[in-house]
Amino acid sequence: MTRSPTPDRAGPTRPGRADRTRADRAARTRSGPAGLTRPGLVWALPATAFFTVFALVPLALVAVLSFTTWNGIGAPRAAGLANWTALLHDPVMLKSLWLSALLTALGVLLQTPISLLLGVWAAGHQRNRAILSAIYFVPLLLSATAVSVLWRALLDPNFGLPAQAPWLFGDGNLLGSRDGAIGVLAFVGAWQWTPLHTLIYQGSARAIPQVLHQAAAIDGAGRLRQFWHVTLPQLRTTMVTSTVLMVVGGLTTFDTVLILTQGGPGTETTISAYYMYQQGFKSFDFGGASAIALVLVVVATLVSLAMVRLSGYDAMRAGAEGI
Amino acid sequence: MRHVSTALHRRASRPSRPSRPSRPSRAPGPSRTSLAATAVVCAAALSLVTGCGSGSAGGASGSGVIHVLVYGDAGNTVEKRIVDTFNKTSKVRAVLDTIPGADYQTKLQTVINNPQAPDVFFNWGGGSIAPFVKAGLLMPLDDMIAKDPALKADFLPSVFNTAVVDGKSYGVPMRGTQPVLLFDNKKVLADAGLTPPTTWDQLLDEIRTLKAKGITPIALGGGDQWPELMWFEYLFDREAGPGLFQKAVGGDKSAWNSPESTKALGLLKQLIDAGAFGTTYDSVKFTDGGSPALLAKGKAAFELMGSWEYATQQSANPDFAKDQLGYGAFPGVADGQGDPNDLVGNTNNFYSVRSTTKYPDAVAQFLKLMYSDEFVKAQLAIGNLPTTTNTPDFLSGSASPAYSQYQYDLVKRAPSFQLSWDQAYPPSAMTPIHQAVQRFFDGQLDANGFIQAMQALPTP
Repeated sequence: MTRSPTPDRAGPTRPGRADRTRADRAARTRSGPAGLTRPGLVWALPATAFFTVFALVPLALVAVLSFTTWNGIGAPRAAGLANWTALLHDPVMLKSLWLSALLTALGVLLQTPISLLLGVWAAGHQRNRAILSAIYFVPLLLSATAVSVLWRALLDPNFGLPAQAPWLFGDGNLLGSRDGAIGVLAFVGAWQWTPLHTLIYQGSARAIPQVLHQAAAIDGAGRLRQFWHVTLPQLRTTMVTSTVLMVVGGLTTFDTVLILTQGGPGTETTISAYYMYQQGFKSFDFGGASAIALVLVVVATLVSLAMVRLSGYDAMRAGAEGI
Repeated sequence: MRHVSTALHRRASRPSRPSRPSRPSRAPGPSRTSLAATAVVCAAALSLVTGCGSGSAGGASGSGVIHVLVYGDAGNTVEKRIVDTFNKTSKVRAVLDTIPGADYQTKLQTVINNPQAPDVFFNWGGGSIAPFVKAGLLMPLDDMIAKDPALKADFLPSVFNTAVVDGKSYGVPMRGTQPVLLFDNKKVLADAGLTPPTTWDQLLDEIRTLKAKGITPIALGGGDQWPELMWFEYLFDREAGPGLFQKAVGGDKSAWNSPESTKALGLLKQLIDAGAFGTTYDSVKFTDGGSPALLAKGKAAFELMGSWEYATQQSANPDFAKDQLGYGAFPGVADGQGDPNDLVGNTNNFYSVRSTTKYPDAVAQFLKLMYSDEFVKAQLAIGNLPTTTNTPDFLSGSASPAYSQYQYDLVKRAPSFQLSWDQAYPPSAMTPIHQAVQRFFDGQLDANGFIQAMQALPTP
């Protein structure tokens, strides 16, 4: 009951992809005006220009800045590799990368199962489903800042939830220890972002042809088996999309840290993005901050590339393939 | 939503600490996916020296105009009024530009050395202007003072000295003073049969009594980090006198290693270990109303805080502020070298002058208004306490006369008024200071670790 035509993936010539391209072209020829095969490069111009001006050029400038000393006053002074060697020996930087990875991993582990189950459930046709789905969706409508401020107040040890439930929270000093602070960050992140991923899974689960479930039912599969052998495999590409979003989002998390912990206690939750902000806009060390920014860019790019490659996302396989 | 509203209020009533990273008022923060993009765009904009959208400071001061740049908040009504008064008589027109709160220092940093730089700008003295002085961007005011001695003599010396760098004056006080005081809940103290402590030993005794009654002796917003710093500032002053920190911030790192330093840290450690702050202070903030609520609701007996605590309580818990909020000086330490009259906190805000100004005479005329009767009355009316020598004449017009009078006398009597450490050091030292302070309170750093962290700080 697994997906049938998988062998094409390993094939060096990728016949599957070629087939699809041909099919696509045929489809386009059928629906569009005769002779129009694919849009010209001109169509890409606005996006390319925008991306160049607001992403590539600043990125290049940041790269240049990372080899200078600059506190914002006067012109940047060349500093050679000073920022980079300092960064290499900076215990906070290494720790911040590890913390970023940890928070990202926690985010994925926490959000994927919840949003997957909620999404599949919300794709059904139960009573009250629409109302409950709308309620689950609410956190996504709030800004990350508002969410952080809200939870900050809710978790106040003297006047918030912990004061009402000491059996669960102890003395309520959640943000006073490393584990507690990381736990709160992961939880608040999950609370805010699970609805988005639920939505993605819901849409995708809705798109699974009912015939598959019906066929499975005829074969005698119960709900659990259907979920395991029909729904999950069909959601595979969605899972990749959702995870890539979580990872990229996790690596650039910022507001929750700024408002909930400010990197504390000590440097226990100083993740890379927040460390960059501290160096740049608190300490006015724009050279050092640029170096951190570049590290973050490189790490995020590598992680994204690796995920895309490993998951076969680059082959753009449609979720409904094999029907 | 009490927390949020107090936080917002905080922004209005406490202009002197824009550097505070914690405030939710920094909202709206960048969404997490756009953060990196925003950062690089900003960096790019900075590198082109266009300033990150600081349009309000724009306009070259070429056409008989001086630009006055201030921190944008509720206090601007007075600045606006003073500028209007100036413009009534001056040929050179003054234009008031404001940069909203939290972004002030960052934007000032980008605009200070380009053609759009203001002629006169708001700052916190000390470390906030030291890098500018070092870069030769500021005009020493000593010539102006020679022509008009009142420009220095009409201000309280302990305040004026905050903006003196390397023996030269670079700033004139232009708002209100904010000393750090030991606030208390009168009712809690009375119920326990206690009075505000005047000595360290008395404070320790009272902590034992309060703990036995199940009350957190001292409210502390450790989540903000800087409220913890205030305890270091006072204990170092009481134990070693103001000289130790002056030496240290001047670049003599051995000062941190002195016996007084170890002793001050020992006293603080003793206080922490005695449970004076309870166990949850790391999760409590001042800026979101957490620690002031502890004091107001009688769950804590004391809070060490800047004079803005009064305004905070007035807005969040008016009845408490009126009847139950007590205030006093930080207790003295037996055998300590520091004078119990010494103060720490924010001495005042200052106007400094960019050396490239085309109209130094007009600027001098403008600065003279900072000790005028009109200025003092206007500041008192909005709750600020100016530090001019003529202030006592108008204290009856203050929003809370008794409190203003108490503070004024305290500041006037103080042999030393130490600017907060995180403001006395250059901005690059702020994060390391806050981290070291928090880690000491958490027990992650011992006295030696703290001393090493302080010695690693960059000095002006």
